[in-house]
Amino acid sequence: MAEPVVDLATDPVQRPRVAVVRLRPRASVLLAVTTLVGVVGFTWPLFLHGTSATDQAHAADAPWIFIAVLPLLLAAVLSALAEGSLDAKAIALLGILAACGAALRIPSPGVAGFEPVFFLLIPAGRVLGRGFGFVLGVLTIVVSALITGGVGPWLPFQMFGAAWIGFGAGCLPPARGRAEVGMLAGYAAVACILFGTVLDMWFWPFGAGTHTSFSFVPGAGLLHNLHSFVLFDLTTSLGFDLTRAVTNGVLVLVLGRPVLAALRRASRRAAFGAPVVHEAAVVVGTGMPAG
Amino acid sequence: MIRFCDVTFTYDGADRPTLDRVDLAVGEGELCVVVGPTGSGKTTLLRAVNGLVPHFTGGRLSGEVLVAGRSTRDFPPRELADVVGMVGQNPAASFVTDMVEDELAYTMENLGLAPDVMRRRVEDALDLLGLHDLRDRPLATLSGGQQQRVAIGAVLTASPRVLVLDEPTSALDPAAAEEVLASLTRLVHDLGLTVLLAEHRLERVLPFADSVVLVPGRGGPLVIGPAAEVMLDSPVAPPLVDLGRLAGWLPLPLSVRDARRQAGPLRLRLEGAAPHPAPPADPDAPVEARLSKVSVRYDRVTALDAVSFEVRTGEVVAVMGRNGSGKSTLLAQLAGVRPPTSGAVEVAGVDPTSLAPRALVARVGLVPQDAGILLYSDSVGAECAAADRDTGLAPGATAAVLERVLPDVPADRHPRDLSEGQRLALALAVVLAPAPPLLLLDEPTRGLDYPGKARLVRLLAELAADGHAVLMATHDVELVAQVATRAVVLAEGEVVADGPARDVVCHSPVFAPQVAKVLAPEPWLTVDEVRGALEVEAVRG
Repeated sequence: MAEPVVDLATDPVQRPRVAVVRLRPRASVLLAVTTLVGVVGFTWPLFLHGTSATDQAHAADAPWIFIAVLPLLLAAVLSALAEGSLDAKAIALLGILAACGAALRIPSPGVAGFEPVFFLLIPAGRVLGRGFGFVLGVLTIVVSALITGGVGPWLPFQMFGAAWIGFGAGCLPPARGRAEVGMLAGYAAVACILFGTVLDMWFWPFGAGTHTSFSFVPGAGLLHNLHSFVLFDLTTSLGFDLTRAVTNGVLVLVLGRPVLAALRRASRRAAFGAPVVHEAAVVVGTGMPAG
Repeated sequence: MIRFCDVTFTYDGADRPTLDRVDLAVGEGELCVVVGPTGSGKTTLLRAVNGLVPHFTGGRLSGEVLVAGRSTRDFPPRELADVVGMVGQNPAASFVTDMVEDELAYTMENLGLAPDVMRRRVEDALDLLGLHDLRDRPLATLSGGQQQRVAIGAVLTASPRVLVLDEPTSALDPAAAEEVLASLTRLVHDLGLTVLLAEHRLERVLPFADSVVLVPGRGGPLVIGPAAEVMLDSPVAPPLVDLGRLAGWLPLPLSVRDARRQAGPLRLRLEGAAPHPAPPADPDAPVEARLSKVSVRYDRVTALDAVSFEVRTGEVVAVMGRNGSGKSTLLAQLAGVRPPTSGAVEVAGVDPTSLAPRALVARVGLVPQDAGILLYSDSVGAECAAADRDTGLAPGATAAVLERVLPDVPADRHPRDLSEGQRLALALAVVLAPAPPLLLLDEPTRGLDYPGKARLVRLLAELAADGHAVLMATHDVELVAQVATRAVVLAEGEVVADGPARDVVCHSPVFAPQVAKVLAPEPWLTVDEVRGALEVEAVRG
């Protein structure tokens, strides 16, 4: 079957892009700050230079500080995003999609990397915008953690990773038809590997013990630690991440079209992009007694 | 109570307004019926009352909509929930909970009412709508009419002063529709609720309507006024109104009783002029389908009990009878859905259950009661194209049939986003386009407006003339009057009447169409017959 030719400039679905959760200046700034803190929270082991005793001591505290700070920052971002731009329709859609995403996680206790959480998150971010993708990523992980009992110190980092994946899906360049599905599948695969890698980085300083060849050595320099980390990643979780990347990529490839179509239909029905305008009557009517 | 002041509304991206300079006032305790062809903007008008237009849909609204003194400009839908209750076409789509009582209480929980108030109002709603026997039942086990009454009850518990209903009976069979409309008129009379109601089954509603709003569609101006005046020029009219307009009765009768009291002179004029009897069914026409002593039992229920009859080519057979009398089972038998418990079914000389699906579809076309289950593409256009491909028709053939049944169904719309009538029209087009020799239609007029029904009647008559056999299970006596050549009445799984449609229908108080009731004892069935006879008389006289 031939692909229908779609003019990207005039196709109503493609332009203007729907932003269900709008990023106002305040929310954008908060999002940027939070992202920065998040990046540091994940990668600090690589950049720790000091070798003094206090530095060593902080190396042990650091993960816990981020565990405490990140949820607070995420909550601040969510409240800034919700301010004014999150209406009943968006909340309903968020609720349903977060529930579906959480349900997708139930049959996947991580067996050989079959974890199709991102398969819904990515098309949703694509169709409903990056702000929505961010919020949905956070909510999906929280809800699924509550359901599956997966609450732990890793939770804020997972929330962060998923939020970025949803946000990134909303930032992808325009494309339609097979090109779009292919692009999303590729993005899903890459995102899954990155997700696994950065989560490993959080886990690595105390997950790999202290005296192995791929242990974190505080202050040993960027290159040395990066080398150790790559070894750690290769030996521990890369296999798992690859399987997950393939599962999610294939799922998007196979089911992407109907899922995108269903999401676009929901978005169209809810008329997210349509502005609500009230104006005075064109011609003032004669007499307007209160009904 | 409801007041539109110079309201113009344009959907985002639309090039012309859906509502154009609408001025409308509905007084306290009034029952106002909104009539108009499918797709004319009735739903937009109704949704503007509780602010869903424009707060939910987006778009540009000028002017002001006031409900009980509150303007929808300042009050979003949630702050109008205690004043306006809204009920849609498909009750199942609006349910949030699983049980009748929970559903009734859900609205009040959202409004934050005290538990003792909720308890009392649930009891009130159960009594008002006659639902007390069903209070502990799961919603999924209720019939369509019961579900719709629960949906009405659920909005009533918020004790609104205005009830807005958008074709509440379109998804229901006529018996259930009558049940819902009866509950509704009772609410208007006993509680003095203000009701704004869009409806296709005008014959049941008009006698109770205080006023009518006619939405002509295509940007035409609204006509508002007392029912008897507005209906004089309405393009959408039940047979009774058509007859009244033909005979020039003033004021226009809206109930059979009123019409009968004015019909004396017309009956005199028609005396002696008998309606042309339908040509008797050709006894030599080949038998398209045959049932021989067919019985079907589900567990302990006997759905069909030793039913035997034949359908010949060129016949349009109406199968009538109350719900659960075996009509749908009969159709399922002919469509080869399951083998009979005993007896034999033949379609074109073969047992339909023995045919491969592709061969079966070429011989028998079935439009089931829930027409939506035939549709699986993501747009109307794609659905038509897929139907053309599957049945080997020329591209555009299905779309052409759809255009004949119901013009202007938007091709890019998702089938689930269509109204009930549009969805049925699409399913009919998909099944009718390949023109299978035997056509089975289950309740083929739900949600169709009068012009839609008239177009369906023409299409069926043409198919029958081309040598197709049509079998339709229906409660719609007007449809039977217009197109059926033979009527079969089922009761408790047995055939209790089988004969020419006119004989079966005319002398039954249950199945007689409006024209027959007005002109009894003369056996006239349709307005067209009467019109024909009057023209002949005019030429002679």
